Amino acid sequence: MTGLRRALALVAIEGIVVGLVALAIVLSSDHVDARGANAALGLFLGWSFIGAGLFAWWRRPDNRFGVLMTAVGFAYFLGSLTAADSSWLFTLGVLFSSLYVAVFVHMLLAYPDGRIDSPALRKVLAGGYSLSIVGPAIALLFANRDQLSCDCPDSAIRLGTDPIVYDVLDPLTSAIALVLVGYILYVLVKRWEVARHPQRRAMAPVLWSGICLLVVFAGQLTTEAVNGPDALQSVTMLLGLIFFALTPYGFLFGLLRSRVVQAGAVSELLRKMGDAPDGSSLRDLLSRALGDRSLQVVYWLEDSQRWVDAAGRPAALPEDDDPARMWSPVEREGRRVGAIIHDRMLCDDPELVRSVAAATGLSIENERLQAQLRARVEELRRSRARIVEAGTAERRRLERNLHDGAQQRLVALSLTLRLAQGRVHKDPQAAEQLLGSAQEELGRALEELRELARGIHPAVLSDRGLRAALEALAGRSPVPVELDGTPRDRLPPSVEAAAYFVVAEALTNVVKYAQASQARVCVSRTNGHAVVEVYDDGVGGADPGRGSGLRGLADRVSALDGTLELRSPHGAGTLLRAEIPV
Amino acid sequence: MGHRILIVDDHPSFRASARVVLESEGFEVVGEAVDGASALHECCRLRPEVVLLDVQLPDIDGFDVCQQITSYAEHPTVIMTSSRDGSDFGPLVSTSGACGFVPKAELSGERVQELLGP
Repeated sequence: MTGLRRALALVAIEGIVVGLVALAIVLSSDHVDARGANAALGLFLGWSFIGAGLFAWWRRPDNRFGVLMTAVGFAYFLGSLTAADSSWLFTLGVLFSSLYVAVFVHMLLAYPDGRIDSPALRKVLAGGYSLSIVGPAIALLFANRDQLSCDCPDSAIRLGTDPIVYDVLDPLTSAIALVLVGYILYVLVKRWEVARHPQRRAMAPVLWSGICLLVVFAGQLTTEAVNGPDALQSVTMLLGLIFFALTPYGFLFGLLRSRVVQAGAVSELLRKMGDAPDGSSLRDLLSRALGDRSLQVVYWLEDSQRWVDAAGRPAALPEDDDPARMWSPVEREGRRVGAIIHDRMLCDDPELVRSVAAATGLSIENERLQAQLRARVEELRRSRARIVEAGTAERRRLERNLHDGAQQRLVALSLTLRLAQGRVHKDPQAAEQLLGSAQEELGRALEELRELARGIHPAVLSDRGLRAALEALAGRSPVPVELDGTPRDRLPPSVEAAAYFVVAEALTNVVKYAQASQARVCVSRTNGHAVVEVYDDGVGGADPGRGSGLRGLADRVSALDGTLELRSPHGAGTLLRAEIPV
Repeated sequence: MGHRILIVDDHPSFRASARVVLESEGFEVVGEAVDGASALHECCRLRPEVVLLDVQLPDIDGFDVCQQITSYAEHPTVIMTSSRDGSDFGPLVSTSGACGFVPKAELSGERVQELLGP
């Protein structure tokens, strides 16, 4: 038996004992009419609340609603002390005779999540608790037997018998109670009005029996205050008892109905999913089954570790502290395949959501595959656009490099040669100097052109293969580069080019950002993939989103169905790894 | 001959060559500027008679710099230059207020003088 079950069993035993004590007190009372009926009614009401409360407590231990409903039952039994013949017990009974009303109101206001978040409402509730004690206390302190019109024991705490004090204070407390009840009624009706559809379905039985009871209670207070006819007072009292007794059963009915609805919803859903497609999407079917028009279905893509909608677009789950929305995972054979985003109110019926989620696992898995395909198409579309954009940017860069580099040097060379030409005869020595500087300028222009050509496509790669190209790249790098290995056989030209540019970009980044003392390059052929790894011992912390270089590389690799991965923890070097199918 | 000229270009190698070429043909190079903002500043400070202005500057487009310079009351004559061909710019040279265009590779005192007129 778990700790909770043991505790609940103890409370149940206490409830039985307290109920039996109350029964004994009422049966042995010398001032209660129809003792048998009264005792049985009291026992029925108290145990109803305790029983239903314990059931709710067991079902939702985190929700205080069950605790409050159980407390209403115990508080109700406390009122049985008014039947005691002992003056002190009678006084105690009267003092706490209205406490159950305050606990009942507390329970209503905390329904269904067991919490009262509004500070104003908490103050009103505190007022209600105070009034439930102060009202009877005034009667005990100041009322005489005639005013109480009861053949009961004397109050043990009476201060005087001046009828004026009681006649003034009693209507005053009744009026305050009436105002409080009116306000609470207003709050409950307002709560009903703003509730969304699934909330209303869950709240209806308890909220409406509670609202009816409060209306009757307000009527009772009014008829007492205006000293209305006895018959009317008896009717309101009877109605009050009926609605009070209905509340725990309303709660149980709500639970039962939700189970019936749940079973119906799941079988209906399964039937509709089995039918020929009628144009309804899975989302529509789920929305109808759970009674939540705003419901959304999202799908989990395991390979890219993200959520997408049915169209394959990235989707976000609600935050844990979102007041209106929450999500329930959908799994199939232990694997997460999707999630249902729904109204937070449905968390009061977690079994329904779980059953529906389990029933739709296969369909969601099927839709997930479609969403995955759409996401891939979308990614390809974006990647294609990026490749076109990268091509344009590359052409711009080449034009700029040509213009700023070799072209400027050739312009200067042209001017210098013209100057030299003009001085060949007049000043041969100056002409010779000018030709010398023209030679240097030409050398620099050639070097820049070579560098540019290598950036477009290294000739050595095509002619001599990846190893030779990587050796040349390593030889030109200012940071020492160790070339660990390259495949013995030639790879397809597109794969070799991609591998070369992965290494070239990685080494450029090592020189620019890593502050590394050395780098290591390894290209291997493993399981039908060319695996390119560039590791440096620098500062790490590389940002994959920085610059366009890595993104361009990722596109280049992904165009060959490969993947690019960057691992760069702070202070522990950087590893750039590409896997390209061969 | 003897015009006071300001050279505006962001490439030091061209500025150096242009200075030698123009000075060897009798021009007085009064200053050099590396971008549009400093060109406008040097124009006001040095009051040159001619500005040899590169089209592609790092900050402001050369044609915009030309329009600003030629909007001054007593403005110098502006000659646009570029390592590209003049036909690449269409009517921009004539509409910018410049007196003409000379490709960088063909720069000489004689070409500048031709554009300035007698």
